[in-house]
Amino acid sequence: MAVKTDRIQDAALRASMEDAQAALKSGDYKRVVDLCGEAYVELLGRKPEMLQGAEQFRSVLFFPRLGAHLALNGDRQPEVIYDRETFTFSEAVTYFEFAVDNLIKHEI
Amino acid sequence: MKFGLFYEHQIPRPHDKEQWDPDAEHKLFKNALDQIELADQLGFDYVFEVEHHFLEEYSHSSAPEVFLAAASQRTKNIRLGHGIVLMPPRYNHPARVAERVATLDLVSDGRVEFGTGESSSEMEMGGFGVHREDKKQMWEEATREVVKMMTQTPYPGVEGAYFGMPERNVVPKPLQKPHPPLWVASSRRETAMLAGRLGMGSLGFSFDTPDEARERADEYYQLIREECYPIGAAINPALGVVSVLSCFDTDEEAIEKGQEGSQFFAYSLAYYYNPFTGGAHTPGRKNIYADFYNAPPDQRWGPFGDAFRGFGGFGGNLSSEEPKDEVTRALWRAAQRGGCIGTPDFIKDTLRKYEDAHLDLMIFVAQCGARSHEDVMDSIYRTGTKVIPEFKERHAKHQEWRAQQLEGVEHVINSSI
Repeated sequence: MAVKTDRIQDAALRASMEDAQAALKSGDYKRVVDLCGEAYVELLGRKPEMLQGAEQFRSVLFFPRLGAHLALNGDRQPEVIYDRETFTFSEAVTYFEFAVDNLIKHEI
Repeated sequence: MKFGLFYEHQIPRPHDKEQWDPDAEHKLFKNALDQIELADQLGFDYVFEVEHHFLEEYSHSSAPEVFLAAASQRTKNIRLGHGIVLMPPRYNHPARVAERVATLDLVSDGRVEFGTGESSSEMEMGGFGVHREDKKQMWEEATREVVKMMTQTPYPGVEGAYFGMPERNVVPKPLQKPHPPLWVASSRRETAMLAGRLGMGSLGFSFDTPDEARERADEYYQLIREECYPIGAAINPALGVVSVLSCFDTDEEAIEKGQEGSQFFAYSLAYYYNPFTGGAHTPGRKNIYADFYNAPPDQRWGPFGDAFRGFGGFGGNLSSEEPKDEVTRALWRAAQRGGCIGTPDFIKDTLRKYEDAHLDLMIFVAQCGARSHEDVMDSIYRTGTKVIPEFKERHAKHQEWRAQQLEGVEHVINSSI
């Protein structure tokens, strides 16, 4: 049966989210968060309008804040900041669903 | 599709006085018990009771286990749902949660639905010293351990990240085996998908449209079949959503008697859940209802709009366009003339769309804002006699669909759907 990651158009990002899904199943939750954070930053890079005006606030603020959060660095570029290095299943699922949903929604 | 009522125990301050009448809370709770007793007699399937702390006006339901225990003695069939228990151990020690849920299950002859959640308002988290970035981890750890306490003899103990305790036999054990149906509050779509992966019912507070509910049901049941790692000893495949309710003989009456309460529900929710307004709340002195009441009708979103201006959703007066963000959109929808504000026929038309989308449970917010007890009773009565019977007749068909979705699932199931 089709899985949601199939709806990601970019092959590299789709493969990355498939890796994240595999990591979720294997219990490597930190890797899930790493991959999802990287994918979301990549999305923001490809959709600069998401970092314009009020959208910037929304794009950054609504990234989950469950042990890793998104912030803008000195060059106003988004980066993932880790508050801790360990994550639970439920946290990893939240990052995974957030990243996949956004990649699909923005037709990447 | 099954039906429930949802209680926050809202009690707006009088708009022209600083404080409530001395008997106001007493009346609120006694009236709510009357409403639930009526709902039970009319065939409503569930009542869900929130747990909130310090959210004056918005919710005075800080001890739901006490209220549900009282409801259990006034009712015979209605399921008694925690919607939800705040699981971070700083709110409730996990052993106390297990004990209270089991006791309620015993005194209610096995009618408990064990809803779980994290909380997210600054008033509550700050009041109990819960840090936002840790609350999901706390929820997961505590929920896993509470289930073990309810099912293992003795409970072997744990040294977790957020609480620890030695081996103890946590008693009593619940009447339902292996434990009451498990739910998680899902105000965001990500959490509904987490519910599927953990084999929990999803209590959606997102005012989904029928199309969204259908998409969510498809994804959720696929996860139950293919990627479910149960957090408990039994799974509870179930999707419920919340909708405001005002059911009267004419649309005009339903709107007149129902809309202000719905708007205040959304207004006060937005007030507390936005960190800028909720975090700056002045306990015991702020009159939220007076601000709401005194604003011109088209500006009753003032604080809401201002609070959300920076989110890119909308600012100032209520926008005619739906906000993009999921949570903001949910609040926006709650304050509209919702799908369940109208005549019985109007409401049935709306509910049929959710039924077609395979929603398991519709939970109505009937008591909200300054709605009178009499109007809430009327609305419940009309819904119970003129809306629900049609859907009850067709529920077996939904159960067939659900059985097909669960074909091949090998986990133990304890679900009241």
